[in-house]
Amino acid sequence: MRFSKQAEIFEQVRTRYTGFLASVLWKLTGDRELFTEAMQYALFSMWRHVEKLKDETATSYIYRIALSANSKAWRNRIGKNGEIPNDLSASGEGAGEKLGREELAKVVRRQISRLPSKQGRAIVMRYLEQQDYQTISETLGCSKAGARSNVARALETLKSKMAVSD
Amino acid sequence: MNDDRIEKILTGIGGEEVPADIQKIAQETANEFSKSLNQPPKIHLLELIMRSRTIKLAAAAVILIAVLLGLPFLPNGAASVGLADVLAKVEQARAFMYKMNMKVTGSVMGNMPAMDMDMTSTVIISNDFGMKMEMNMTDSNSGEITTQQMYVVPEDKVVVMVMPEQKRFTRVEFSDDMVARMKKQNNDPREMIRQMLGVKYSELGKSEIDGVEVDGFETTDPAILGGTTGDIKVTLWVDSVTWLPVLIEMDMAMNEQMRMKGTIYDYEWDVPVDKVEFEPVIPEDCEAVEIGGVKLPEMTEEAAIEGFKLVAELTGRYPKKVNMMDLMQELETIMAEQMKKDRAEKMTETERMTKMMETMQPIQSISMFYMTLVQDQNEPAYYGETVGPDDAEAVLLRWKISEGQYRVIFGDLSALDVTAEKLEELEN
Repeated sequence: MRFSKQAEIFEQVRTRYTGFLASVLWKLTGDRELFTEAMQYALFSMWRHVEKLKDETATSYIYRIALSANSKAWRNRIGKNGEIPNDLSASGEGAGEKLGREELAKVVRRQISRLPSKQGRAIVMRYLEQQDYQTISETLGCSKAGARSNVARALETLKSKMAVSD
Repeated sequence: MNDDRIEKILTGIGGEEVPADIQKIAQETANEFSKSLNQPPKIHLLELIMRSRTIKLAAAAVILIAVLLGLPFLPNGAASVGLADVLAKVEQARAFMYKMNMKVTGSVMGNMPAMDMDMTSTVIISNDFGMKMEMNMTDSNSGEITTQQMYVVPEDKVVVMVMPEQKRFTRVEFSDDMVARMKKQNNDPREMIRQMLGVKYSELGKSEIDGVEVDGFETTDPAILGGTTGDIKVTLWVDSVTWLPVLIEMDMAMNEQMRMKGTIYDYEWDVPVDKVEFEPVIPEDCEAVEIGGVKLPEMTEEAAIEGFKLVAELTGRYPKKVNMMDLMQELETIMAEQMKKDRAEKMTETERMTKMMETMQPIQSISMFYMTLVQDQNEPAYYGETVGPDDAEAVLLRWKISEGQYRVIFGDLSALDVTAEKLEELEN
């Protein structure tokens, strides 16, 4: 695709999706610095894959871009090994009560950034964007049962990740 | 933590309002990104850097260039009467071509994804017109096949790389010094012999390849590629009758993680060539990737000193080792430190990546210069492991400039010519 054409499509795409992307990324990061960094990664990814964002599957792709940008921003923040500080990963019920709500949310956000792609998209659509299973299944390109399964598996993964340091 | 609690937290996050200033930041970031698209050179460069696949290709291309620069010497790695005949034959060929299969595995630097790349190339080299290489690369991880054409045009002092799938091409200038060096290497066989006499090799005796009786020679001396590799084994098989090379087998550790293994075969000697064949063919739909201001690293003493200065500014010390692959490993740390500082200064991604490119270029000059010293058998010695910027009078790097005379770069980066006796005194 020629540069001028790519730029033209990008302008349309970013006008349409910047608000949506900002909403998803803010909920995923909850932190201004992380958000700005993830936003830059997401825009760059949109630029690279702009051709895939022209048709009706664009929303699904935007979720992928957002999750990928979020993971990258978190990785840069925390380090290549992806380890989070012990005080934040202590997440048993007792520990959870001690931690503030914001800190727990931070741990959950971090763990979402490490979920497999489909589970990540499913959990973001279901809880962060509060979509119904019909919409999730259409966006993910699977059955409603499949959508439920992905959400359940994501919850299970989050639960096990957060229980590691119990 | 149970599902209910996680669900509550998730629902809580989902119910949060997006602050107005976040929407504003998003719009401003998007506007800024769009604006930067009106500066195609930077975005194109950034795009190339950021695309991991392209990074792999670039890394592979750099390695290939290094290998190709070394290859013209290879048939001349001989002090025996037999290989002197090979040299005489090769000397007669004004142009020759060959095919090459290479497998590159591992990562250039620890923070880059490991590659598993199979490359097949056809190369034609002319003393008069330069070099043309057509390469197919298969990424075994993704199954993706990419083609690339590379032209070295000494007359215009440029390397042109065309990537048809990406619809991109790039031109990189190289210095007068590098042109002179390439010409010397291609045109003065006595120079080649002088270089290769210093490389240790063994004779393998006779064998047979595709019904042709051949004689084998083998070296494990890293100096054969200017000390740019770790463990290396290169085997050369020459036709026992014509004394022309038939097959070269190479296996080398580029660094601790990266390995390169392959063969060079199907040589055709003294092939007729036309200048037109060496003129870069750029498809109309390919756009230029401008890398304004970025040239191939210089390989001079001055450029190396600038590189040392920069490393010292960034890290407070000099690199521990200066061969290309080890230095690239050290660059990983340097770049990580640099990126951390830049991030703290709130630089944009584009600014950070551009700065990184500008940083890498002079630092690479250290290796390029050292490689020329090894290839020219100037007896270089480097003491970066023990000498730092505060060791003003200690020898950091030295090399022989003539009989009994050495050039020394000291810890404070001043440089001086000294006698062999004075050098001994300085090094003890």
